Amino acid sequence: MAPDTESKTLQSAKPIELLHSQPSLFFANLQPILLLGTVLFSFKSLVADPVRTLLGLAPTIAIVQAIYCVVCLPSTGDVAAPTTKPGQKKKAGKPGQDIWAKVIPTFLSFTLTIVLSAPLLYIIVILFGAPLTTHHLHTLLFALHLALLTTPHLYYVHGLDAPTWLRLASLQQPIDESYGMSLGACVGAWVGAIPIPLDWDREWQKWPVTVVVGMYAGAVVGKLAGGYLFKGWKIKLA
Amino acid sequence: MDDGEPDSSAADELKNQNKRAAVQFKAQHALVVAFFMLLLVFHALGIYLFCSGFLLSRLVLQDRSQCDAPPAEVQHGYTTGSMDSGCWHPKSFDKAVVILVDALRYDFTVPFQPRPGDEQPHHFHNALPILYETSVEQPNNAFLRPFIADPPTTTLQRLKALTTGTLPTFIDAGSNFAGTAIDEDNLIEQLYKAGRRVVHIGDDTWHSLFPGYFEPNLTKPFDSFNVWDLHTVDNGVNEHLFPLLEPDMQGRWDVIIGHYLGVDHAGHRYGPDHPAMADKLKQMDGIFRQMIDRLDDDTLLVVMGDHGMDVKGDHGGESDDEVEAAVWMYSKRPMFGSRDAESVSPPLTAKERAVGQIDLVPTLAFLLGLPVPFNNLGQPIAEAFLGTNTDFHNLATVSRLTSAQIHRYQDQYARARKLDESTTSTTSLLWRQASIIYEAARKATHSLSTAEAGGVTDAFNAYQAENLRICRSLWARFDLVSMAMGISALIGTFAIIAIYAHGIGADRATITPLLLGWGAAGTAVGAIVGAAVGLIPSLSLIQLSAFGAATGGISATLIGLWPARKILKLPLPRTFWGSLCFLVTLLLCIGFASNSFTIWEDEQLLFILTTFGVLMLASSLGQDLREDRVLGAANSVSFLVATRLSSLSRLCREEQMPNCRSSYYASATSSTSAGWQLSIPILVFAVLPSVIASFFHRTRNYQGIAVIWIGIALRVGLGLIAVFWVLDAADDNGWIPSISESSLKTSRVLLAQSVLALAFAGGYAIFIVASPLLEVKKEEAQPEERAIAPEPLQPGEPIFTSLDDAPQKPKPKLIIFGYANTHGTRYLLLPCAWIMALQLLQKPMGQGTLALCMVSILNVLEIVDAIDQRHSALGPTLLALMGSYYFFKTGHQAALATIQWESAFIPLKTIAYPWSPLFVTLNTFGAQILCVIAVPAISIWKVPPKHPGLLGRIAGAMATHVLFYAAIAVATVVEAAWLRRHLMLYRVFMPRMLLSIIVLLLVEFVGALVALVGVRFSIVSVNEVFGWPGT
Repeated sequence: MAPDTESKTLQSAKPIELLHSQPSLFFANLQPILLLGTVLFSFKSLVADPVRTLLGLAPTIAIVQAIYCVVCLPSTGDVAAPTTKPGQKKKAGKPGQDIWAKVIPTFLSFTLTIVLSAPLLYIIVILFGAPLTTHHLHTLLFALHLALLTTPHLYYVHGLDAPTWLRLASLQQPIDESYGMSLGACVGAWVGAIPIPLDWDREWQKWPVTVVVGMYAGAVVGKLAGGYLFKGWKIKLA
Repeated sequence: MDDGEPDSSAADELKNQNKRAAVQFKAQHALVVAFFMLLLVFHALGIYLFCSGFLLSRLVLQDRSQCDAPPAEVQHGYTTGSMDSGCWHPKSFDKAVVILVDALRYDFTVPFQPRPGDEQPHHFHNALPILYETSVEQPNNAFLRPFIADPPTTTLQRLKALTTGTLPTFIDAGSNFAGTAIDEDNLIEQLYKAGRRVVHIGDDTWHSLFPGYFEPNLTKPFDSFNVWDLHTVDNGVNEHLFPLLEPDMQGRWDVIIGHYLGVDHAGHRYGPDHPAMADKLKQMDGIFRQMIDRLDDDTLLVVMGDHGMDVKGDHGGESDDEVEAAVWMYSKRPMFGSRDAESVSPPLTAKERAVGQIDLVPTLAFLLGLPVPFNNLGQPIAEAFLGTNTDFHNLATVSRLTSAQIHRYQDQYARARKLDESTTSTTSLLWRQASIIYEAARKATHSLSTAEAGGVTDAFNAYQAENLRICRSLWARFDLVSMAMGISALIGTFAIIAIYAHGIGADRATITPLLLGWGAAGTAVGAIVGAAVGLIPSLSLIQLSAFGAATGGISATLIGLWPARKILKLPLPRTFWGSLCFLVTLLLCIGFASNSFTIWEDEQLLFILTTFGVLMLASSLGQDLREDRVLGAANSVSFLVATRLSSLSRLCREEQMPNCRSSYYASATSSTSAGWQLSIPILVFAVLPSVIASFFHRTRNYQGIAVIWIGIALRVGLGLIAVFWVLDAADDNGWIPSISESSLKTSRVLLAQSVLALAFAGGYAIFIVASPLLEVKKEEAQPEERAIAPEPLQPGEPIFTSLDDAPQKPKPKLIIFGYANTHGTRYLLLPCAWIMALQLLQKPMGQGTLALCMVSILNVLEIVDAIDQRHSALGPTLLALMGSYYFFKTGHQAALATIQWESAFIPLKTIAYPWSPLFVTLNTFGAQILCVIAVPAISIWKVPPKHPGLLGRIAGAMATHVLFYAAIAVATVVEAAWLRRHLMLYRVFMPRMLLSIIVLLLVEFVGALVALVGVRFSIVSVNEVFGWPGT
């Protein structure tokens, strides 16, 4: 069972380090506060009118995430990959010269998030048992938020390199701050689904309030845990 | 092994080695099966002990009320003890016709009341107006009241309550299929002893309850369980009942009991909201009109329902729709009255002015001049005794006599059970108060005034009501000692299985004989010791022997592990997948302590299965080999889609309303399938065999007998099943009026029986005799197969000779197609035989989901291979989760009401033992059965033919599978015991507990006797071709 060439790259990966600059450190610590604060601040309206609230929050979250990408993370080209892969077709921008080298990957990351991640996550959320015939907007907006919390920074950092994405999808990428946030958001949303069936008759038990809150809390916890506690860990699926 | 031609002595030696290995395997295999049966015995003992303490029981007193011994002295000179004028009180009627309309719900009898959200009348509304009409137009001749049943609302329990006046206890509920004679005081026996001639016509349950009490010449019993037959019983009752009402026959009987079943059967078959129900109720309406016409002045006519029905037409539980029946009494002479002007006309809903079903007992007893049965707890129905001039005095008298009888019964019961004063003190207080009021009123004036009589009645009724309340709680007596014994046996067995599955670091099959020996010996010794202790009087022999056997067996098995202690480890999860399985099982177990999670179990299982699916997809994507990656990912996606697709099949339980919409049947108020659902069996017929075949194809195992079974027999079987359901729909909807219903039924039953014969006789014959699904080709060219063959092929090995007549000449290259998955595909023939029988017994929607379950099982086999988790807990646990999930998706819930009784009539016309219960079992637990049969395939999927230690692996997988169900059983049993005073005990926790213990026993039974026994044939057949491991 000789591992083929792909599997060699599957095994070699390093956690992503944040950019070492003052604004980067500042914003990396501000981001969880912003995310949690936004959700807690709008919790009441989220319960009252989830669709409108989630729709209204989406641009804010997108901007927070975009700033995070631009300020804190190395874009695909920046990172000195262990073995420079030929697979960086899209955004092989000249490292760090002008602002466009950061804005264009960011823009592409968010485009991919909306056209690729959100629909995919929508399908996955439906598979998990989200209502199929009703609440389409609720589910779609939840998937959008989940996509915003999980994928833009991954696109920004890793590009569209297939082996890397296989590693990311199969949980074999070593944990770092951005990957931890993505995983944390997913686990948080999973845990957030647990209180839904309880017969407490609370307004906040309605779809998708609990999973949204769980997702944001999970993202923040995951980001902190991934950035400090579990940095460099690898999940052993086998 | 040399590649030249082996000489004959070496071949002989090899043959002998193989023979020895085969004998050794067969012996080990038999012991493994026996070990699983021993575990089944442990579980059965634990469950017996727990249930005998948990399921409620009531002490039956043998006392009988005597005609000449009223419970209190009777006032103003009425001479008691006369059968002719009335035992304790003057009788009102000489004769009675008592008509029981099974499942006559109260809202069937009253005019439709529009409510918000329910503005239009349903089929069952306004179809039976006669009862309401007469009660409104002639209130002195007729009255109609809601008639509330005490759950369980099964006919047998109801008949007991309607004749004895006492409360049912859950221990009786299981005996609905084999009713046994009532051995406490009851109306029928009182009538019989008073020399009245009782005629019974209809449901034969009465005859098992009251054997020998009915007039033999006039009585006509009918089989009651053929629920698909709406008319035979009703027409039979009419045919035999109406002649008795003719004047020349009037002298031949005193009481007629007629029991109509059509309404109940229409409910079971179609649900209440169906034209067939309207027709049935209209027919009943006509029958009662005729009866009224033919009634004479001295005869009382009673019409009542024994229970109601839920929205789907089923009953058994305690929802409002199930307990709200109707009672109506009619007399040609004006005899009845009402308390006040407001209560003259019948209540429009069952929520107002309801009477209990046990109230019928004292009412009928006094009206017919009988003593009130000794164990009665009901009170007389006011309307029957108030008379035309609102005679409260009369009502007070009968109320007082009834209460006095209850008081006498209570004294007797307290003495028999040695109860302390505290449990009965509120009742004795109320009894003293009522007696004081009565005495005071009587002393003041010789005859009671209306107001005083009303007060006396109320006081006695208060006593009766409080007493009833106390009795309800009193009879919820749990035997904590027995329950604790059962729980400890279940936990001990759980520990054994956990160690056996995950704590043994060597080949399980070699340790099993040791454990079995110790366990069996311990069980025997324990049983003897327990029996010896049990011989001490005042201790229960059976209980102690059972506990002795369980404790002895379990501890001896654990001792049996001692010699093997070096290879033992703690049975804790050590890998990602093991931890996930552990976590999920633990979460489910904890969830069963909450009624919400128990109610929404189906949705949770979807969530959990999807979690597994997504993670398996992720894991597949991380595989090194491209082939594993693609295969694993494709099957994971298929698994996810199949799971979500089958989640669209829902049958909601009552507690899920209004957040759930059933899709299993045509509508929420029906139990027939919708027209479009007929396309499901046809689709399954067209697609399923090809899908299964494709899994054989992938490793080139679609050869020989597999083509015959999957390509032809399975297709034919599924085709016949589709035809069956088309015929069934044709019968339901009258599509082919030219063919009579009976010939349709005959052809349907024949179809079903031939499918069963094909599945079991044909399927097993093929499974037992089949040789491995291989093809051997002589070829010079390079092999094209993609199959993973970890061992190089060994051309010319002499063992291949047993494959039909493969040439012995070693020269040409032999290519064995299908080598890679010989074991897996060979064994898979067994689930493929069972799927046919299981499909037959499902409703069309269930067939679709069960087919998806089969596809998911195959997906899981491939995924587990692709991500190389053959030896982890993943596969067996996942299959157990799927078994539980598809239980819900085949139209079931953890509630008595969702049992699809009518599935017994798919292959049979009438009830036949033991077949009918067997078919209902196969229908109910089809998913669990299919999944447990698939468990061995996990361990042998794509392993080389000569892989050593397969039996131990299979035993481990089976033990892991059983471990899941055992965990759920332990959790629900402990939680049911813990929550035994919870409001939702009978609605939620107890049904779930019963479900999990039944499933546990069934899965163990099928796992040992179908799956593990099947393993023997498949492994022997493969190794006879390839040689045994180690040779």
